Amino acid sequence: MAQTKRSHISFWTVISLWLFAFFAIFVLYPLILVLYKSVVDPASGSATMAYFTRFFTKPFYWETMVHSMEVTVVSTILAALLGLPMAYLMRSIKIKGSALLNILIVISYLSPPFIGAYAWIQLLGRNGVITQFFNQLFHTSFNGVYGFSGIVLVFTLQSFPLIYIFLSGSLKTFDNSLNEAAESLGCSRFTRMRRILVPLLLPTLLSSSMLVFMRVFADFGTPMLIGEGFKTMPVLVYTSFMGEVGGDDGFAAAICVIMIVLTVVMFFAQRYLANRSTYTMTALKPIVAEKASGLRNIMAHGIVYIVTGLAVLPQLVVVYTSFLRSNGGQVFTGGYALQSYEATLFAKDNTVIWNTYFLGIVAIAIVLVMGVIIAYLSVRKKNLLNSILDTVTMFPFIIPGSVLGISFLFAFNSPPIVLSGTALIMIISFAIRRMPYTVRSSVAALGQISKNVEEAAISLGASDMTTFRRITLPMMMPGVLAGAIMSWVTIISELSSSIILYTTANQTLTVSIYTEVIRGNYGNASVYATILALTSILSLLIFFKLTGRRDISI
Amino acid sequence: MSVSIDIDHVVKRYGDNTVVKGLSLHVKPGEFFTLLGPSGCGKTTLLRMIIGFNSIEEGEIRLNGKRINDVPVEKRNMGMVFQNYAIFPHMTVRDNVAFGLQMRGAGKGDIEKRVDDILKIVKIDHLKDRMPAALSGGQQQRVALARAIVIQPEVLLMDEPLSNLDAKLRVEMRNAIKKIQRHIHITTVYVTHDQEEALAVSDRIAVMNNGVIQQIGTPQNIYKRPFNTFVAGFIGLSNFLDAKLQKDGNAHTLHFKDGYNVTMDNLDESAKDGESVIVSVRPEEFSIVPAGERGISAVVESSVFLGIATHYFMKSDDGNNLEVIQYQGEGSHLPDGTAVSLQLKSGRINVFHSDSAETMIEGGHNGTN
Repeated sequence: MAQTKRSHISFWTVISLWLFAFFAIFVLYPLILVLYKSVVDPASGSATMAYFTRFFTKPFYWETMVHSMEVTVVSTILAALLGLPMAYLMRSIKIKGSALLNILIVISYLSPPFIGAYAWIQLLGRNGVITQFFNQLFHTSFNGVYGFSGIVLVFTLQSFPLIYIFLSGSLKTFDNSLNEAAESLGCSRFTRMRRILVPLLLPTLLSSSMLVFMRVFADFGTPMLIGEGFKTMPVLVYTSFMGEVGGDDGFAAAICVIMIVLTVVMFFAQRYLANRSTYTMTALKPIVAEKASGLRNIMAHGIVYIVTGLAVLPQLVVVYTSFLRSNGGQVFTGGYALQSYEATLFAKDNTVIWNTYFLGIVAIAIVLVMGVIIAYLSVRKKNLLNSILDTVTMFPFIIPGSVLGISFLFAFNSPPIVLSGTALIMIISFAIRRMPYTVRSSVAALGQISKNVEEAAISLGASDMTTFRRITLPMMMPGVLAGAIMSWVTIISELSSSIILYTTANQTLTVSIYTEVIRGNYGNASVYATILALTSILSLLIFFKLTGRRDISI
Repeated sequence: MSVSIDIDHVVKRYGDNTVVKGLSLHVKPGEFFTLLGPSGCGKTTLLRMIIGFNSIEEGEIRLNGKRINDVPVEKRNMGMVFQNYAIFPHMTVRDNVAFGLQMRGAGKGDIEKRVDDILKIVKIDHLKDRMPAALSGGQQQRVALARAIVIQPEVLLMDEPLSNLDAKLRVEMRNAIKKIQRHIHITTVYVTHDQEEALAVSDRIAVMNNGVIQQIGTPQNIYKRPFNTFVAGFIGLSNFLDAKLQKDGNAHTLHFKDGYNVTMDNLDESAKDGESVIVSVRPEEFSIVPAGERGISAVVESSVFLGIATHYFMKSDDGNNLEVIQYQGEGSHLPDGTAVSLQLKSGRINVFHSDSAETMIEGGHNGTN
C-alpha cells in the first residue's frame, strides 16, 4: 500500500514538472526576453533606459498611453452604466422575448470588437449610410465618428454585454429576502437599489469591469480601424514592431513592459477593491421577473430593446453587406448578389476557414487537458510547485494579446527554439491566452465537488489515479466543457496576437476580415465575418443545448 | 399599544391553485400566535399576506379594525424575521439594525441609543461592529430579531426563524424569542412546521393543512383535545386504533377487536350506537400490565431507552404497530419479545367519528374558531 502511494505521488510530481517546464518556456521565457530587450542595447549589449526615455519624452509616444487610458476608462464606465440597468431590468421585469434578447446580447459580445468598428464606419463613418442621410437632410457636413468617440462607441456597445452577463449571473444568486427585509423596514424601491442591490453587486461589477478594461485596453483592431489619428498603445506597439523600416524590437519591448505594468496595476487595484467587499449569498428566494405596468413597463421595454438593437446592429450590417453587389473590389454598385461569397468561398482559396477551425480545436484540446490537470493539482495536491504553477498560468490573463504575440516572436524566431511562422506557435498562443479562464472555471468546478466523494472512492479501494479518472473528472466535466465552448468562441475571434503571429499558410478568419477591411474589400470581409458570426451562434446554441442553460458564464 | 389582527375570509390563488381558502382568524393584542402546519399548507403564504408581499385576492386583513389590504409593505410598520435571516451582508450589525430607523428618518443620536438598547435586549451588544459573515447562526438570528423589533413595529412576523439552527441552539433561541416577545409585549405571528417549537413558544396555535385551519387553541388544548385525526397525528405522537361504539342510555363503551372494551364518560351527543370510531392514544396514555390481564395483547418488538422514559415499539395481536412510553419508576424494563397487555386511560384518550375524522369528545369543538 505504501509502495503504490509513493509511486502515485511521483506520478503527479512528474506531471507538475512537465507542466511547469511548458509554462516556463512559453510564458516566463518570452516575458523575460521582453523585459531584457526593453533595457538592453542590442548593439553594445549594455543596459540602457533609452527606449523608456524615448517613450516618455516624446508626446507622439506617451500620448498613446493617455489615449489608451482615456478610451479604456470611459468605455468601461459607460459599459457598466449600460450593463447594470440591462441586467436588472431583464431579471426583475418580464420583458417580451427576453430569451431571444439574452441570446442576442451574448452574440454581440462574442464577435471581435473590430468588426463592430468597421460596421459602425459603414453606418456613421465619413461615407456612412446614416451620416450621408443626415448630411443631406440637414445640409450639414458631419464627418463621421472617428477617433475617441468612435472607439468609445464601439467598445461600449461591445463590452456592456460582458458586464450584463456577469451581473445577471450574480442577480440569479441574489437573495430577494434582502429586498423584502428592506421593504418591511420601510425602504422605497429606489433606496433599495441604492442601499442594498448595488452595494451587493459591486464586487461582480468590479470584476467584470476589470475584464472589460483588459479587453478594451489590449484591443488592437478597433482603434486601428476607427481611431484614425487617435493612436492607442496596442496600435503603437504593433506599428513599432511591424514598422515598414524594419521593426524596432527594443522600443516595442519597452512599450510592452509599460502595457504590462499598467494592466498589473489595474489588476491588483481591482483585486484590492473587490476583496474588501465579497459576500457569499445563497438565493433562498431568487428575484422573480414580474410584469410591470404602465410607464414603467414601456420604459423598461424601450431601454432593453434599443440597447440590444444597438448591440447587434454591427452583426446585421455585416450580414447585410455580405450580400451587396460590388464592382468586384471596393465599390458597391447597388443591388444584391452572392458575388462576395463567390469571391471568397469558391473562387479564392478558402483555407482560412479550415485554418480557424483546426487551430481553434487543437488549442481547445490543449487548454482542456492542461487546465483540468492544473486545477486538480492546485486544489487537491497543494504544494509549493503547484502553487507557483497556478500563479504562472494566470499571467496571460493580464498580458495583452499583442504583447504576447511580440514576446513569442522574440523567443521563437531564432534558435534554440524556432517556431515562428508555424501553426504550432499560433496554437500555443491561443491555448496560453485562454488557460487562465479554463483553470479558474475548473478550480470552481472542483470546488463544488466534496472531498468526501473522493475519499469514499478511495475507501472503496480505488487508487488516487482511478479516483481522479472515474470520480473527479466526470463530475468536473459538465462545467469544464461548458467553459471550453466559450473558450472556443473566444479563440476563433482573437485578433491581437494572431495578427502578429500569422503567415499566409495559417491565416485565420479574423485576420482575413481585418486584412480585407484594411484593403477596403468590405464585401469579402463581410462574408468572413458572417461565417465567423454563424460559427459563434452555432457554438452558442450547442452550448445552450448541452448545458440546458439559458445564460452563459465566461 | 398592542394591536389585534383580524383575518377575514382571505383567499390566495396562484393561477388555478387556491393556496389559502377563505381563512379567518383573530389574533389578540400582544398575543404570541403561531401558524403551524406541514410544508405547503399555506402558512407562509398567509404570513406574507399579512405583511403585504403577497396580494389578497378575496377577503380582508384588519389591524385594530382598520383594513390594510392596500397599504404598501413599507408603510405597514410590521417587523419581519426571515427564514434565512436576510441580514444585509455588506453592513455591520449596527448598520443592519439601524437601517429601518434611518428609513424612518430618525435622528443620529436617537438611532444610536435605540440600536444600543435593542442590542442589549437581544444580548449581542458586544458584536455591534462585526460583519454578518463573522457571526454564528444564533447571533445572526438575534440581529434579524433586533432589526425587526427596533422599529417598534405594530406586529412582529416570524417565518420559520429557527429552522436553520442546530437542535440545541433552536431550544435556546426559542426561549430567548419568547422572553423578548413577553418583554416588549408585541403582537406576534410565528410560522413553523415544528410542532414541538409551536407548543413551546405560543400563546395560541392555529394548525393548518391544505390552506384550511384545522384547529385553533392553546398548546395544552391542542395537544390534549385535538379536533380531528389530522391534528392528533400532526401534534405529538398518536396511535390510531379502530373500535366500535356501543351506547346504552348515557353510557358509552368502546369495543376493540380482540374483545377489550373501555367505558367512556366524556363523549358528546354526536356519538351514535354501533358507529365505527377511530381512537387516538398517546404513547403515555397506555398502562402496561402483565399479559393475560384485561387489555390489548401486544408483544415488545424493540425499545429505546431515553433516560426519563423508555420508548417501546410493540405489535398488537391484530397487527397494529404501537408506540408506548413507560416512565422511569413505572415498572421494570421489558426485554424484546415480552408479551404484555395494554390498558387505555379513558379520561385522556380521544375518539373520532371514522367518517368525518372529527372528535366526539365533549367540548372538543371549542376553539375551532
